[in-house]
Amino acid sequence: MTKTFHPLTWWAGAIALSIAVAVTQSPFFNLLVVGGISYLVYSINKNSLDRTPWSGGLWFALKIALIIIAIRTFIGVAIGVPIPGTTLFELPILYLPDWMAGIRVGGAITQERLVFAVSEGLQIATLICIFAAATSLTSPHKLLRQMPVFIYEFGVALVIATSVLPQLIASASRIKTAQRMRGITRRGWSGVALALLEESLARSLDLATAMDSRGYGFSRKRSRYKREIFSRRDFTLISSALALIPASLVVFT
Amino acid sequence: MITFSNVSLIYPNSVQTVFEDLSFTIEEGEMVLVIGATGSGKSSLLRLINGLVPHHTGGILAGDITVDGLSTAVTKPGGLAHLIGIVGQNPAHGFVTDTVEEELVFGMEALNFAPEVMRKRVEEILDLLSLTHLRSRTISTLSGGEQQRVAIGSALVMHPKVLVLDEPTSALDPIAAEEVLSILHRLVHDLGLTVVVSEHRLERVIGFADRIIHISANGSAVIDLPEAILKDSPIAPPIVHLARALNLDSVGTSVREVRRMTTHLRDFSPLLSIDAPATHEVVVEVKKLSFAYGDKIALRNLSLNFNAGQITAVMGRNGAGKSTLFKSIVGFHSSTSGSVSVLGDDPMKLQGRARLSRIGYIPQEPSDLLIHSSVEKECSASDRDNGLAQGSTIDFLARLTPTISPSSHPRDLSEGQRLSLVLAIILCSAPDVLIMDEPTRGLDYQAKSILVDTLISYARNLGKCVLIATHDVELVAEAADRVVFIADGDVVADGPTIEVLLSSPAFAPQVAKVMSPAPWLTVSQALNGIAAAPEGEARQ
Repeated sequence: MTKTFHPLTWWAGAIALSIAVAVTQSPFFNLLVVGGISYLVYSINKNSLDRTPWSGGLWFALKIALIIIAIRTFIGVAIGVPIPGTTLFELPILYLPDWMAGIRVGGAITQERLVFAVSEGLQIATLICIFAAATSLTSPHKLLRQMPVFIYEFGVALVIATSVLPQLIASASRIKTAQRMRGITRRGWSGVALALLEESLARSLDLATAMDSRGYGFSRKRSRYKREIFSRRDFTLISSALALIPASLVVFT
Repeated sequence: MITFSNVSLIYPNSVQTVFEDLSFTIEEGEMVLVIGATGSGKSSLLRLINGLVPHHTGGILAGDITVDGLSTAVTKPGGLAHLIGIVGQNPAHGFVTDTVEEELVFGMEALNFAPEVMRKRVEEILDLLSLTHLRSRTISTLSGGEQQRVAIGSALVMHPKVLVLDEPTSALDPIAAEEVLSILHRLVHDLGLTVVVSEHRLERVIGFADRIIHISANGSAVIDLPEAILKDSPIAPPIVHLARALNLDSVGTSVREVRRMTTHLRDFSPLLSIDAPATHEVVVEVKKLSFAYGDKIALRNLSLNFNAGQITAVMGRNGAGKSTLFKSIVGFHSSTSGSVSVLGDDPMKLQGRARLSRIGYIPQEPSDLLIHSSVEKECSASDRDNGLAQGSTIDFLARLTPTISPSSHPRDLSEGQRLSLVLAIILCSAPDVLIMDEPTRGLDYQAKSILVDTLISYARNLGKCVLIATHDVELVAEAADRVVFIADGDVVADGPTIEVLLSSPAFAPQVAKVMSPAPWLTVSQALNGIAAAPEGEARQ
């Protein structure tokens, strides 16, 4: 097994990187960052034997990012304050009542406005991808385990609550396919929802009995099995991410 | 170690007592098996031991239960966590964390154990249950047998004096089941652990049990030695039925015992006659099928034909590719390469009524197919879907299992009744191929025999093709005409049931082990075989 980083490392790195993205505001830098983290996540997760339900997080986020860019571009171009410049094409203008003066729907679409809208969308998408990458590399469960003792109890409760989610998604698709096999197509999600609700209730009861019979919440104090140690590797990774903030400012602005 | 004195139990909103005046004592270092029909209260009995019943379920408990001197009426389940380890019916539902190591320490963290103690115990358990190589794996990626071992391990790290297991082998293949049971056996003998276990498949556990608690339908229970209980209990493994049918002086609980008692019956060399399988129309044609989940290859270039009028059992260890093969045949996913055709049609393209009359699929959780709030509504929806006269499905169901009340909710039915309901719904459309994934999980012997009769009449009388994926060797021996054995995504054996089952010691049914080398798999085959044996040779 290769040595792993401290769970906080990737998240600290992600925060530093997102600051760099926020101050630089450069579409080229954003693309570079997204490309870089995608490669990083791919090459790290490729070799790991088992995937947590979270490790696909980045690929999901990349899809969401594309949708965000599309929506942001559409809204930025069609609605809002016109920016003068080279006109690409014109849309019919929708006239709004007087009290909404200053907002215009439709009208001339300029090149400047398009570029501005796309790069803004890209900015949001990049930030989402950065944190999704951190999730892919360390499951939020590991992160929650690092919480100081006084909120540790809360963390454990949260871990338990969220570990049901991926299971629910799996059961939903299982039930839906089974029903499709029975030839039930027209009922959509209602049949699935009912079966799913029953299953998840039964499951949470099972989980509660399992936790209770293993002494959860019985002792006032709770001990901790392992403490992760902050090593020099973690330190190097975080400081290089921090160094990226001034570096990106110099190069991209 | 465990004492029940005059225990009676009744659940809320129920008029019938689950147990009535139950008294028994389980000694330290005993392995006790709990048997009874589905719904007789096996799980309730197990959960009474650590107080989950009635603390978690509600209900009224009369009498007293003590475990190592602690009364469960006063102490809550959490307070017994250091004393009793409990492993539920489906271990996957009881996992709290996501990796093996974290799961093992969960209980110890909750009871505030010192980190050094925890580290020592985790290593011990990892070694004891050979889990060391899995320590940092995510639990959901483990196989069924591995998950079961993790569940047992996380109960054992607490160093309990009592271990309670609810059907620990129901999801496991015969080899993995053997593994789990021999670990339990070792714990009982080496550490003096008290083990209470319930199981439907008696043939698997009977050899390990010191005593048996038999719960009858009326809520009374007897505890006694296995031989005494099995002498006239309706719930019994095949070797006991064999011993009874042959009028042996006593019933044996192990293959060795019964083999010794029947030497005189095996004195002659019977003819190994295997009927040449009649050639029927090919219904399902699988050609060079490959399938992969990401990097993991599940099926490798598989080619198989399945015929009408035949029951084919697909066997193999957990994760061998049985379910993947079935999903490809059903049209659940498109294959990586190769093709599947069901009577010439691609199953991916079949829709609506055409699909219903072509493929009937019953998944591992039959209740996934049920969406209505009563048996009656479920049946009339099926009539509509299949274009049948109103009432056809419910008539069919009544013939299958007459005891089901039409107004009850599908979730309230027992496992066996629910399977009957789903079978009725699926079989009503008379699909050309019926596909079942692990149909006997959680079924008692009675429900199983209903299933076997239904399948046999569907395949033989109506000439349909039936495919079952199963770990249940006894079901295969009773029902299947042909067995296909899959390992690592490839066919390793394919032939008549007798041939395939007899050639593998792990998968041979009990009767075959007793009667070997005579080629008899079931009690009735053995009886017919002995009757047909040359006079004077077979009998003394």
